[in-house]
Amino acid sequence: MHSLCQGNHLDLRVGQSRREFLYAGLAGGLGLSLPNLLRLEAGMTIPDVAKVDAKADAVIHIYLPGGIAHQESWDPKPFASADYRGPLTPVKTNLPGVYFGEHFAKTAAIADKLTIIRSMTHGEAAHERGTHNMFTGYRPSPAIKFPSFGSVVSHELGVKNSLPPYVCVPQAFGGVAGGESMGTGYLSTAYGPFSLGSDPAQSNFAVRDLALPKDVTEQRFNRRRGLLDAVDAHFSSLEKSDALTAMDSFYQAAYGLVSSQKAREAFDLNAETPKLRDEYGRNQAGQRLLLARRLVESGVRLVTVTYGGWDHHSDIKNGFKNNAPNFDVAYARLIQDLDDRGMLDRTLVMVSSEFGRTPKINSTNGRDHYPRVFSVALAGGGVKRGMVYGSSDALGGEPDADPVSPESLAKTMYRLMGINAEKRLMADGGRPIDIVNGGEVIEGILA
Amino acid sequence: MKTSSLTSKALLGIGLCFATGLARAEQSGPVDFVRDIQPLLESKCVECHNPSKSKGKLLMDSGEGLLKGGEGGAAVVPGAPEKSPVYSRVVLPHDHDDIMPPKGDPLTAEQADVMKRWIAEGAKWPQGLVIKHKTEEELKALARLKEKLNKLESIEILPGTLSLETQRDSQRVLVFARFNDGTTKDVTELSELKVANAQVASINGVHLKPGQDGATELSATFNGKTATAAVKVANGAKDREVSFRLDVMPVFLKAGCNTGGCHGSARGKDGFRLSLFGFDPAGDYDRITREMSGRRINLAIPEDSTLIEKALGEVPHSGNACFDKDSHLNKTLIEWISKGVPNDAPEVAHVTGIEIFPKQAVLEGQGETQQVSVRATYSDGTDRDVTNLVVFMSNNDPSASVDKEGRVTSHDRGESFILARFDVYSVVSQFIVIPEGLKYERPKLVEANYIDTLVNEKLHKLRILPSGICSDQEFLRRVSLDVVGVLPSAPEVSEFVADANPKKREALVEKLLQRKEFTEMWVMKWSELMQIRSTENNQGAYYKNVLLYYNWLADRIGKNVPMNEIVAELIASQGGTINNPPTNYFQIERETLKVTENVAQVFMGMRIQCAQCHNHPFDRWTMNDYYGFMAFFTQIGRKATDDPRETIVFNSKGGESRHPLTKAAMKPKFLGGDEPTLQPGEDRRAVLAKWLASPENPFFARNLANITWAHFFGVGIIDPVDDVRISNPASNPELLDSLGKKLTEYNYDFKRLVRDICNSMTYQRATQVNESNESDKRNFAHALVRRMRAEVLADAVSSVTNTPTKYQGLPLGARAVQIADGSVSNYFLTTFGRASRETVCSCEVKMDPTLSQALHFMNGDAAHENIKRGKVVATLVNEKKPDQEIIQELYLRTFGREPLPKESEVVLKQIAESGEPRQVVLEDLFWALLNSKEFYFNH
Repeated sequence: MHSLCQGNHLDLRVGQSRREFLYAGLAGGLGLSLPNLLRLEAGMTIPDVAKVDAKADAVIHIYLPGGIAHQESWDPKPFASADYRGPLTPVKTNLPGVYFGEHFAKTAAIADKLTIIRSMTHGEAAHERGTHNMFTGYRPSPAIKFPSFGSVVSHELGVKNSLPPYVCVPQAFGGVAGGESMGTGYLSTAYGPFSLGSDPAQSNFAVRDLALPKDVTEQRFNRRRGLLDAVDAHFSSLEKSDALTAMDSFYQAAYGLVSSQKAREAFDLNAETPKLRDEYGRNQAGQRLLLARRLVESGVRLVTVTYGGWDHHSDIKNGFKNNAPNFDVAYARLIQDLDDRGMLDRTLVMVSSEFGRTPKINSTNGRDHYPRVFSVALAGGGVKRGMVYGSSDALGGEPDADPVSPESLAKTMYRLMGINAEKRLMADGGRPIDIVNGGEVIEGILA
Repeated sequence: MKTSSLTSKALLGIGLCFATGLARAEQSGPVDFVRDIQPLLESKCVECHNPSKSKGKLLMDSGEGLLKGGEGGAAVVPGAPEKSPVYSRVVLPHDHDDIMPPKGDPLTAEQADVMKRWIAEGAKWPQGLVIKHKTEEELKALARLKEKLNKLESIEILPGTLSLETQRDSQRVLVFARFNDGTTKDVTELSELKVANAQVASINGVHLKPGQDGATELSATFNGKTATAAVKVANGAKDREVSFRLDVMPVFLKAGCNTGGCHGSARGKDGFRLSLFGFDPAGDYDRITREMSGRRINLAIPEDSTLIEKALGEVPHSGNACFDKDSHLNKTLIEWISKGVPNDAPEVAHVTGIEIFPKQAVLEGQGETQQVSVRATYSDGTDRDVTNLVVFMSNNDPSASVDKEGRVTSHDRGESFILARFDVYSVVSQFIVIPEGLKYERPKLVEANYIDTLVNEKLHKLRILPSGICSDQEFLRRVSLDVVGVLPSAPEVSEFVADANPKKREALVEKLLQRKEFTEMWVMKWSELMQIRSTENNQGAYYKNVLLYYNWLADRIGKNVPMNEIVAELIASQGGTINNPPTNYFQIERETLKVTENVAQVFMGMRIQCAQCHNHPFDRWTMNDYYGFMAFFTQIGRKATDDPRETIVFNSKGGESRHPLTKAAMKPKFLGGDEPTLQPGEDRRAVLAKWLASPENPFFARNLANITWAHFFGVGIIDPVDDVRISNPASNPELLDSLGKKLTEYNYDFKRLVRDICNSMTYQRATQVNESNESDKRNFAHALVRRMRAEVLADAVSSVTNTPTKYQGLPLGARAVQIADGSVSNYFLTTFGRASRETVCSCEVKMDPTLSQALHFMNGDAAHENIKRGKVVATLVNEKKPDQEIIQELYLRTFGREPLPKESEVVLKQIAESGEPRQVVLEDLFWALLNSKEFYFNH
């Protein structure tokens, strides 16, 4: 199957698939005769899962829900006719010949720290399906629920410094638009995200319930824990279920937070200087990104930040005016901040969206859903500085060079985190599933 | 020709005399081909030497092939084993380059010897016999069959009636055997097939071919049992023209050309676009025949058409080769191009439905196979075997997988559904795989009502033993939480346990059903489905309207108005949003597309969103269905009144639903039903309302029954409940059907259905599992441990800790279940996943555990603050109750059971040793109880 004919489940599930061979192979252990097993193995193409070195310690995944127009952001078409170019005037970046959208002036000034992929492509034009692609690296399937990047990273890398490995700022968005893309899929719910539940932009922002109540001493808390273990023992001895196991693991995570002052401080924006908070911007974009930096600095493995609404079917001009400037300031400051702290090379910052938007401006001065080609911005964490990878054609309608599928993007992200995406994880019913199926690590962007 | 092909007869031989034969050939006496040689060839040779592979240009599937030989000359020289490679190359040293078979174990000495003797005796091959490769698994399956023959109950020919129209028609015949242990087996190739009148039809392999017009009978004989099927042939001598819609379009579906990832994508792929899953044949015809003229289709040299070259992989193609040159798919395309790419005449028949055979199979052991066949029916009354044009999928490959030809192979124990898709239709067949030689005896189970009968029947098929019945305490707690959303109080627990009435559980259910909290629970659930929520920015409904809407619903459910009447009143509602509150349904959602989708999703359980832009990929819904259904909602008028909060919803008598492709104004058509006759200006919603909530709409009652079921079991018979589709089938269709029928019979009084459910043994099963039902989540073999939903949990915390809560619009101490407005919430409810009612999706209610929940119980006010505020422990201590009594009281309050002796001991020891006041330690116990899973899970 062609790498871009991705997620074609018909091909995945019918005929002599690799999986089928594997099952037969598994059966071998249960009494299949040797010659048969050997014959099956001859057909198997399970790659050895080699260990890969981590280039990044953490990922900040900034997600711009709705489908940001690549033409107005990372991939403007300054030389196209007006109905394709759109209403905004692109700005020059500090990379020769590279332009960004009008509202990305600050970002344009740090373009030499970024890698822009201008040839992302997939086939899902509905929000929830596109979101699924970009959060899991899998096309949605009617039969299997796939885990999000954060859940896989939690599963593979685990807890560091008592902090939850996967945090959503401000929360995992659910409902129809988000689908179940940010969840744990076939993995245990124990690998689910920690949602802040409140917005860092609020003046009284605090993550609730992180610390013990004031009138509970550590000694008393230990007694409580002891009693809880005793109380739980009877029930635990009788019952088994994923929900119960997951709850247990969340209690362990909670104990970790309670006992670590340092871990809790990761969530405290007041520990930042007012000056820096101003520079990020005292708004949703600024404070969310600043908090994301604090979190990865303290040991969170993957932070998903969502910001804005980019579904600009109409009046794209004002849509960008309302959403983009704050993002521009915050994002540019974040990259600079990470770099100043020497963290950028070990932190992958990925800006993505479910898809791009149609090449031509529509009758309501907007653009509609368009997954055929769009852009993703990467920075740090082992990717090159100052690069444009791949391109779209003159009108932003098709990938012109080096098309990148969600599978490839996912595989690259996992590789940078030191996770070999060829590895299989076990789903319900003893069904092994590749972390990413298909795609290639994008070698061209690796530093 | 009076008999069917020799193939079946000869194969019959295997079925009967086959044993573990492969290893043990007779040492003396003449060699019997069927007994001694055929299994050897089938397992060791034919895999590579067959017409599709022909290694070394040698065919070993027939006697002729062996004599003709391959690159190295004849494979068998009768009478001269040493000159026959079939013998000489199998006895080479094991590490010799030329040894046969090249992979796997060499032949044993006995096997080689019998081969030698067979050739020496003249290498006799039964006339006309063609053999196929069989894996050792298959050979084992055959051996297994032999052991089971005494259990054979019946055989059946599928399809049961066979009709052939036109010369090119052909019908695959299946012979399906049932055994008295409930298992089944495909015995087609082992049966003797005979057509009574060979003039009318003949059997070629397993395919029935037409002869002269007329009627006759096909009989199948297997192991002494005979089954028959009527055969009808019409126009058997005439040929049918190749048709674009009937023959060519299916090729694109079968070969995967028009899937979303390839040419079915909205922009096509590499410059060629097909409609997704073929929803637009007219458009596809134009694109194929009019674009890139002379190249995509080359009328002069059909084989040079790009369409063909790409599909065969002869030129670079992103999708690589999709089918072989010799395949029937290619032949169809070539024939169509050769005939000049004819478009269909307008009167060409269309597909009206497809059927799958068998509809259910129970396979024993791994490596069993069962062929499935699919037959399409057409609007002109004809039918066709479309098995080789169907796309097959299994929803559970680890248990049963299916190949492109529709052959299902069993693997691990489990259940899977094999989906077949053709044209716009999908059907499923249920496959159950049970382990071989399982020690299982059907248990004798108490059955309270039809629910138990149907659930147990399914468990028997799966060979799963259900868990036992839960204890009185467990039952009281479970049924109280499920029916009324309230924990039983400590005295209630003691009283119920002490009650000697043998029917006390039934009496309890009866008592609970009469409580007002029962109605409140369902008002809440329906409020979620009807999206009762206010919006701040006046985009939807005002708070006051929302209260009126909620009160209307509460009033109806409180008076036990049948659900069909409530729904009919809602859907047909007209008037002011204050005067007639159900009209708010059309105020909260004003977008016609959304209203259409919501009604389908909530009241029928169907997600038809996909069909807005293209035919549903995994279900039967087409764009015609979607826009036909939408036509019921295009004439909703809305106008403002003097009161800014009130809108009038009325029948505007104008406005049509336009199909985006054809631009045709679609006539209102019930989803999955008929087109009603409407007078101009007649209120379309009133017509829909009447149908929607009536027995004529089979989905309504089943959907309602499934929603009710899911509430009590934590998982629907179809799950999620609002995703009913052919590719997401019911785990127990008979059960769902019965529940739906009962509900209709009960005149849509779902209270009676709840009574049936709660009194069933199935509902009363324990959560503890046994080895056989451990992994079962969908067949109700044991109760599932479920976290309490947000509102019920909040109320439980309030009542256990004696801390009344204030919610907006409700008096202090009211329950969270009673909150009218979806936008009213608090941190606790949001954290534990209360539905915001922004969408109708059942996924709005979140039951997954999270870290925030753990933190909130551990550090937040849920436990610690509420313990202090409610003073439960403080009061007991002030009353100078002894420690043991307080511990008991706290356990009963939170868990609904007494503490175990060792549990009390731990606490008493802490009180004695910690040096803290006993109140502190007892409050810590209370904290622990509230933080325990035994409290906030229903079990």
